[in-house]
Amino acid sequence: MTEDARMSTAGPTVARPPMRRLSRARRLRALVAVTVCAALSTLSLAVTMSEMAEAQQLPSPESLKGQSIAVPGGSVRPPAGAVNLPDTTSNAVRRPGQGEGASFPSAPSDTVLGHESVTEGLWDRIRHGQAGESVLTGGERGVLIQSAGEAWRLLRNDQVVRYGGQMLLAVIAAIALFFLVRGRIRIDNGRSGRVIPRFSLAQRIAHWFAAVLFVLLAISGLVILFGKSLLMPVLGPQGFALVASAAMQGHNLFGPLFLPAVLAILVLFIKGNAPRLVDLSWLAKGGGLFGGHASSYKYNAGQKIWFVLTIVLGLAISVSGIVLLFPDTLADRSQAQLANLAHGIAAVIFIAVGIGHAYIGSIGMEGAFEAMAQGTVDENWAREHHDLWYAEHSGEATTDRKRAEVSAAAAGDGIMQGARP
Amino acid sequence: MSVIEFIEGPLWSFALAVFVLGIAWRIFSLLAMKRPRDLSVAREGAGGVGGATKALVIHSIPHGGNLGRTIYHFVTGYMFHIGLFVLVLFAAPHVAFIQERLIGADIGWPEMPRWAFIVAAEAAFAGLILLYVHRLTDPVKKQLTDIDDHLGVWLTFIVMLTGCLALQEAHAGLRAFHMLTVEALMIYFPFSRLMHAFTFAFARARTGATYGRRGFTP
Repeated sequence: MTEDARMSTAGPTVARPPMRRLSRARRLRALVAVTVCAALSTLSLAVTMSEMAEAQQLPSPESLKGQSIAVPGGSVRPPAGAVNLPDTTSNAVRRPGQGEGASFPSAPSDTVLGHESVTEGLWDRIRHGQAGESVLTGGERGVLIQSAGEAWRLLRNDQVVRYGGQMLLAVIAAIALFFLVRGRIRIDNGRSGRVIPRFSLAQRIAHWFAAVLFVLLAISGLVILFGKSLLMPVLGPQGFALVASAAMQGHNLFGPLFLPAVLAILVLFIKGNAPRLVDLSWLAKGGGLFGGHASSYKYNAGQKIWFVLTIVLGLAISVSGIVLLFPDTLADRSQAQLANLAHGIAAVIFIAVGIGHAYIGSIGMEGAFEAMAQGTVDENWAREHHDLWYAEHSGEATTDRKRAEVSAAAAGDGIMQGARP
Repeated sequence: MSVIEFIEGPLWSFALAVFVLGIAWRIFSLLAMKRPRDLSVAREGAGGVGGATKALVIHSIPHGGNLGRTIYHFVTGYMFHIGLFVLVLFAAPHVAFIQERLIGADIGWPEMPRWAFIVAAEAAFAGLILLYVHRLTDPVKKQLTDIDDHLGVWLTFIVMLTGCLALQEAHAGLRAFHMLTVEALMIYFPFSRLMHAFTFAFARARTGATYGRRGFTP
């Protein structure tokens, strides 16, 4: 340890300024804000409850027997198995086999070719994806049923949902267990009171822009992926339809913004994320969990892996998501199914790792959050977690936090130094 | 009366009244403020009107050789404000609502196509998030930020978000939730810095006129 470092370790504790008393106007404004928020929350709850109540008042399927069901405006999907009645003016549907005089398309049961019914043979061919003739243009124009769709549906609903859910729960459980056993990782020598600039303003803006989108997309995506299993039993079909509709619209809207966010992360954080020999040592020591101190430059091996995952998974999710937004541009449905699976699997992995990143960057490690909040880190934190980077930047340590913050914002290590204060 | 009927009926009327009267009162108060008389002699060829006009124009574009410092705010600011303006006035459900509830079916304007709606919404959301993130991380700007700024941003974001969540137009509850947030914003609007939507022109013109009389425009 250098003399400078010893002195800084034993440096004076920085006194916190006294808390400012809020002026009367501000207190009043805060009161109004809290009241508005409370009223908003109450009324939101009331709206949801109202929707739920409407959902619970739906008639039972038994009571619908023999009744025509109006389909308003086409925005509500008819019940499973319902077919259109010939009367196009009434826009009504009837359940198969119910009601008198139902004129469902009847099979030509008496027409037989050899030993095979035309209906059976037709169904067999359609069911196995055989293409017929069609006046439509485009891929799969003659295919009525794409059998691979059932395989995709089972793979998504059974495998991705089950194992994806288990993976997320396992990650959350592991983090909770780690927190209970290890607790918050403290700065061993305490805060020095001196800080070093670490991230530029451009880097922090790119990080938080991506983070905000990540959270919005993760929440809406999880509702889309797991909602049918988890939310529908609680909210009911109508309640879940409302939540799923909102989630899908939000997901589709925010999704395209994630691509430029990932590209900004790539451009602004690529410097310093190239693999180095010291990363092997860091990995062998488990980042310091086993075998003593693990050295690293600005980014340790774990952060470099997270960076690569962010770029690879982020691009995979973005590209597959954009493909899913424009399914008509695809040659056939199998491409959309593949994109959907890739999107879901990559997203679940991204969210699982992202939860770990969010944990270690906030409550999991003392002094980590301020690197992205203020752009500076405590000198002792830098020495303990990024000693090789600290050795290069120790001369920038200062007790003037505000000056360090301005300095970090204007002259970080990023390639682009825009958005200066 | 159901909750949804209340939100779309009396509460809407109340919010609209607070919004309109509040804005009128704020602007009237601003214009009625007594200003000290400028005793200096105006520079030759300089005038208040010219200075006001010049200030309004040049403060709307990067100027003064500080493009590098201001380009972020200009780009993100215009993304958000133009996106929001277009969404509010030209989104198909909004045009229909304005005609039905405010001006009547005889008056109207074309609604924008869905692709334009998506582009405007993307721009508005990206701009708002980038502006807010900058406000939270910039070492100088965050010192100038108080609860009013946070509330204004959050309310605007929630209004935009709930509007987009209701985009499918298939659930009355989502539409009512959007209206509820709009009404909260309308009630808060006149008493907050969101008033800059109406007062920025007065403020810039006043500053420009004052300095224009002295022969320059900052």
